[in-house]
Amino acid sequence: MKVLVVDDFSTMRRIIKNLLRDLGFTNISEADDGNTALPMLKAGDFDFVVTDWNMPVMQGIDLLKAIRADEKLSHIPVLMVTAEAKKDQIIMAAQAGVNGYIVKPFTAATLSAKLDKIFQRLG
Amino acid sequence: MSKYTSIHVSLEQAKLLVKYLEADQQNKADELIAEIQNPVQTALFEEIGKLTRELHNSLNNFHFDSRLNDLATADIPDAKERLNFVIDRTEEAANKTMDVVESIFPVVSNIQQQIKNVNPLWHKLMHNDLDVTDFKVLCRDIDVLLTTTEKETSKIHGLMTDVLMAQDFQDLTGQIIRKVIDLVCEVEDSLINMLTAFGMASKQEQSNYLPKLGENLVEGPIVNPGNRKDVVSDQHDVDDLLSSLGF
Repeated sequence: MKVLVVDDFSTMRRIIKNLLRDLGFTNISEADDGNTALPMLKAGDFDFVVTDWNMPVMQGIDLLKAIRADEKLSHIPVLMVTAEAKKDQIIMAAQAGVNGYIVKPFTAATLSAKLDKIFQRLG
Repeated sequence: MSKYTSIHVSLEQAKLLVKYLEADQQNKADELIAEIQNPVQTALFEEIGKLTRELHNSLNNFHFDSRLNDLATADIPDAKERLNFVIDRTEEAANKTMDVVESIFPVVSNIQQQIKNVNPLWHKLMHNDLDVTDFKVLCRDIDVLLTTTEKETSKIHGLMTDVLMAQDFQDLTGQIIRKVIDLVCEVEDSLINMLTAFGMASKQEQSNYLPKLGENLVEGPIVNPGNRKDVVSDQHDVDDLLSSLGF
């Protein structure tokens, strides 16, 4: 399974990569904002996206909307891992079609539980 | 200050006023009234004069307050540099820590693998089900395991010390952030003084005001979720909110 981790902080990308590797995901790529991520998604056959919200140039919410609006990408599950904790934002992300929402700071167990739930639902 | 309190009409003045009015000397009566009021006007003029001087002085002081100038041209740029240093040091520490942790993973995996190798024969031994040939194999495996464990655990010990030392940023960044907080307080005081001098500060406005968000609703980490009704405070809240919406 090919995963794209999108976050503007390299340390957070590294933490998520390590946690995902521990959960058995070995094919992981990185992007530092939506603007970098989108062409990668269009070019590669990614199966899953983990993205932050607050990033320069293109925010995670806009990346999510772009993914859902693109016929070839719209099926890809998107997990948001972000410090943004306003109820309005969470509702906005849900309405935009996010598959999971994790608020930072988070634990390895939370990430694992959300991934299980997402892939369980997808069958 | 009531404008009547400082008027002192003497009995003579009152009698004189009645006399003027009875004699139909209106002009003289008016003059007398003006004379009686005069002390008040003098006090008023003095007060206005005092206020004008104060305003003049505070405007002058404001203009020449070199501290404000220093704040804008030196202290704030310096604070930006300090905060960038905090970002660099914390990033460096996070990377150093993750470097070490990532280098420990394979070491631990190696020990786990050795234990896996030993386990089946060890299990047989514990159940008195081991022949001599296997026993020799087991002894060799255990020997390898002991040697590996000894070597790798001392390596892990060293690496853990590196993790420990990578936390030394906290002391430095804590000091820097405390200095920046002091600066923010000073700027806050200056701004409040300025607003007060121009009569624009109001306690009520201060308390009702919430910080404005940037574009796209983005606010970053919420530091006071207990005081806010529009935010979630943990993952449980997020899950509850989403399931209440049917997601």
